[in-house]
Amino acid sequence: MRVPISWLREFVALPADDDAIADRLAMLGFPVDAVERRPAISGVVTGRIAALERHPNADRLQVAQVDVGAEQPLTIATAATNVATGQTIAVATIGAQLPEMVIEPRTMRGIASQGMMISAEELALPAEWFEDGIMQMDESLALGRDVVQVFGLDTAVLEVEITANRPDAMSVLGLARELAASYDVPLRVPSFENPGRGDEPPGTEPHVTIESEDCRRFVAQRFDGVRVGTAPAWMRVRLALAGQRPINNLVDVSNYVMLETGQPLHFYDAAAIADSHLIVRSAREGEPLVTLDGVERTLDPRALVIAGKDRILGVAGVMGGVETEVTAQTTAIVLESANFHGPRVRRTANALGIRTEASARHEKSLAPALADAGAARAAQLLRDLGATAYQARIAGDALVAPVPIVFEAGDVERVLGLVIPRDRIEHHLAALGCGVAAQGDALAVTPPVWRRDLIIAADLIEEVARIEGYDAIPAIVPSVAAHEISSEAYALENRIARALCALGYREILTHSLQGASFVQRAQRAGIEFGTAPIEVRNPLSEEQRYLRFSLLPGIVEYLAARDVPIRVFELGEIFAADGASIVESSAAAFAFTVERDDEPPWRDLHFLRLKGDCETLLREVTGRAVEVSADALPGLHPGKSARVIIDGRKAGIIGALHPRLAQANDLGRDAYICLLDVGVLPPAQTPHYVPPSKFPSTYRDVALVVGVDVAARDLERAIAVALGPVCTLVRVFDEFRGAQLDQDRKSVAVRVTLQRFDATITDQEADAAVAKLLDAVRERFGASLRT
Amino acid sequence: MTELAEQLTDLKRRLIAAADAAPDEPALENVRIAYLGRNGEVTKVRRTIGSLPQNERPNAGKEINDAVDAMESHLGEAVARLQARRFDAELATAIDVTFPAIAPVTGSIHPVRRIIDDSAAYFARHGFAIVVGPEAEPDYYNFDALNIPADHPTRESFDSFWLTDSVLLRPHTSPMQVRTMQQHRPPVAIFAPGRCFRRDAVDARHLFQFHQMEGLLVARDIHFGHLKGMLAGLCQELFGPEQRVRFRPSFFPFTEPSAEVDTTCPKCKGSGMLAEATSCNMCGGSGWIELGGSGMVHPNVLREVGYDPAEYSGWAFGFGVERLGLARYQVDDIRRFIASEPDFLEQLCEFR
Repeated sequence: MRVPISWLREFVALPADDDAIADRLAMLGFPVDAVERRPAISGVVTGRIAALERHPNADRLQVAQVDVGAEQPLTIATAATNVATGQTIAVATIGAQLPEMVIEPRTMRGIASQGMMISAEELALPAEWFEDGIMQMDESLALGRDVVQVFGLDTAVLEVEITANRPDAMSVLGLARELAASYDVPLRVPSFENPGRGDEPPGTEPHVTIESEDCRRFVAQRFDGVRVGTAPAWMRVRLALAGQRPINNLVDVSNYVMLETGQPLHFYDAAAIADSHLIVRSAREGEPLVTLDGVERTLDPRALVIAGKDRILGVAGVMGGVETEVTAQTTAIVLESANFHGPRVRRTANALGIRTEASARHEKSLAPALADAGAARAAQLLRDLGATAYQARIAGDALVAPVPIVFEAGDVERVLGLVIPRDRIEHHLAALGCGVAAQGDALAVTPPVWRRDLIIAADLIEEVARIEGYDAIPAIVPSVAAHEISSEAYALENRIARALCALGYREILTHSLQGASFVQRAQRAGIEFGTAPIEVRNPLSEEQRYLRFSLLPGIVEYLAARDVPIRVFELGEIFAADGASIVESSAAAFAFTVERDDEPPWRDLHFLRLKGDCETLLREVTGRAVEVSADALPGLHPGKSARVIIDGRKAGIIGALHPRLAQANDLGRDAYICLLDVGVLPPAQTPHYVPPSKFPSTYRDVALVVGVDVAARDLERAIAVALGPVCTLVRVFDEFRGAQLDQDRKSVAVRVTLQRFDATITDQEADAAVAKLLDAVRERFGASLRT
Repeated sequence: MTELAEQLTDLKRRLIAAADAAPDEPALENVRIAYLGRNGEVTKVRRTIGSLPQNERPNAGKEINDAVDAMESHLGEAVARLQARRFDAELATAIDVTFPAIAPVTGSIHPVRRIIDDSAAYFARHGFAIVVGPEAEPDYYNFDALNIPADHPTRESFDSFWLTDSVLLRPHTSPMQVRTMQQHRPPVAIFAPGRCFRRDAVDARHLFQFHQMEGLLVARDIHFGHLKGMLAGLCQELFGPEQRVRFRPSFFPFTEPSAEVDTTCPKCKGSGMLAEATSCNMCGGSGWIELGGSGMVHPNVLREVGYDPAEYSGWAFGFGVERLGLARYQVDDIRRFIASEPDFLEQLCEFR
């Protein structure tokens, strides 16, 4: 909300420093987004055109005698065309400082001009919101007064943010009240006495029927003798400073009262309301209305409307209709100052896609009593414009007095940790308009009618804290008593991240919301992930329609975008549909891209490095050994992918990225990826120490020729079983295929380590073990010793 | 001179010549082996003792031992000389120590995790548990239980991605408050970081996917001053000991009283100015960075989880992690956090 400080000063005495006021508002809970400073203007006074005649030497100039309240009128030549004798205008006298110039004596075609009559633009007001030419002022203004002072053109305008709970502060008066309480100075509250008296002419009495619970109160008031024209200059200037374009005297009054009090008003052309009857009801399906913005709208029952006998006249709390709009021909109006249920107004405005100054206030649920105050202020201003005000007609619920909130003065200290004396608490609350009474040792505090947000003691304690100042509350580090809430899930996630970091992977973030394009590209490449993705109902764009089903797409796209070998990891949530329910799980993924090497096709050292990283990670995180078994998995190279199994449970997959998937994503390098299901990882196991044998070990290396489909791990297992406990380690350490061997055979080098706890292994024992080994692998795999 | 003495003198002369001629330590070692080794020249001479008369043998033995001592002493000197020469040569070399280092393959954790983890460590030190939870959450945990009923205007400010009629991607980490309090009796002290989602248009200051970190302390006799104390400490943890914190009144349905938390802008050190008449582009010239919301837990929230507000009180806060990151690392555009460019990660990698 734009708030001219000069307008605030009508209600409260404020310090001279604009920034200090802005800071104070911020510390009261109303952050100031901008302090818009006014340009320096001086030497501009009010004047009246006492005489006007043609310039003797120039057809397009006139020469005016302008009375500025001094002994002698000023002689001023002007090219403006909207000047006439008797007008009250603003005169920049010799030496005056305007935003773009300093006024100096000058001679215009032989006539010495003693100043300049000026336009709104020269007062740094929006030119397009005011009349062309010389700005017209009110006859009632005394002559020779400083225009900057009169209109408050020298103080800054604040752009203030108002939180959703404070519609009362979406008004100049509301903010003035806050400042008055904070500075501990009086608030000059205007009169809310409605000057309307007496009955309307027969048959013109406004009659309101409320058919919806969403209208709590409706003040209708008729004004006769209305003349549409230009509003007084002071009102127009204030509105302009507040960012509200002046339209005509009636519209300006309604806007002025809304900005001052926070109560939106609407004026109907009385002649356009059939039988003077207004009905508040829900719209019927398909009912039409042309709103004031000229848009033809079709309403539905979500909208709360103000209707006449047979048609809708306006959307309640949002915007009126053109049919009852005040025009130049209007002579009588009906004022509406109503209270609507906030959520209903918000739903209505959302459904129509319009938000107005009125709806922005109504949607936060205004105080019903404010309707009466708004009508009263409008009636005062309309009367000042010469209108006849009849009595206000009120429909709706009787006003309900606010319920006192009882709390102990000690609760303030309990909640804030700050001792504030009881009389000070009472003083702060009274300054905000609360009624404060003692109830035994406690306080009974009755919130003012406009503060519908004050419901419980905590609300009042916040008020006391705001006025006392949050800065006054001491900062104390609490000591937390022991509790049993587990940090294990976070600790596990963090252990994984630290372990991957130590393995040389960089952590990245990718998007949880993704489009369909990755899956579609994969499908075109013949790859099906076979998961049903979770769809967002209201995505921002197609690229963010689905929740990721895996970390793989994000990582592949990240790798594809960078043509260098790179090692990355990500931890995050993934989502899958299980029937109608959403299954969310925590996942980890790490991946790298490589420089191509010239290894034979049956060997892939990158895969083995990936596997090594995976085993190391999981051993560090869980303290357990991992098993890796071949399995063709979606998205991965069918011959270079495997499942990672830990304690018999599927913990993830590793492998080379499927070459077709890589190509589909323009990934020019070989990529290797490990995807882990963090949720299935068993809790960390503490390792136990086994002392080594005191006797030395020995080893034997054998080269075995086996079929190419014999798995290294199966060989190792078979040998370990055959040799028994004397064999402490079996390790396949090399593989060879080539011309020296049959095409379906490979040579595998195996080292067996032999050790006893009770004696040194003898050569004879070692040789016997090798013989046993050979027998076992010959029988099991048809293996022969390579010669 | 006896024949033996002559032989020994000759051996000594030859050894000295050979030792002095040896170009390096291995060659010298070969000399030693050739003369003093198990099958060396001296051994050959020693074998001849057996052919001497019994009474001459002790003397001959002594003569040989004296000669060996002399030869070993000479060899020792030769070794020392050669070693000195070797060290002199080695020490005469020099490299360009300013040549670029060979970098190890290192990993890093993301700046977002770094901030979360530094904060988590601070809260853990003060007795808080670190909890994490789901991103897809029913509206009950996101709104209803947090005193935001269905038609509350605040729901709109949490413009959310909906998955079903009642499940949405959490727009804040506050559901963890409700989940934890429903499972535990006070005292409850948690720090809850995690990924959140809001339907915000993405620009240099906004992401639709971001991280929040939440703190909650509910126990007996907890007041607003404790909130100030903990958050002042957090900011000093993240930004340094000079860091100041400011609390401004605000409005959140789940806290009362409520406060926005600001901390001094680390770029301009709170002055709002970078240089003569240049407004700080990090804080917009205010000297303050907005961290997020906080306040005393609303009694309705305590009641919802079965706590008696007369017995227990508490506070909560929620900060945007990437927002904090903008200030901590002086990043120009919040989108860089999710873009995770290698250069960005490299520059913000903190080793400590």
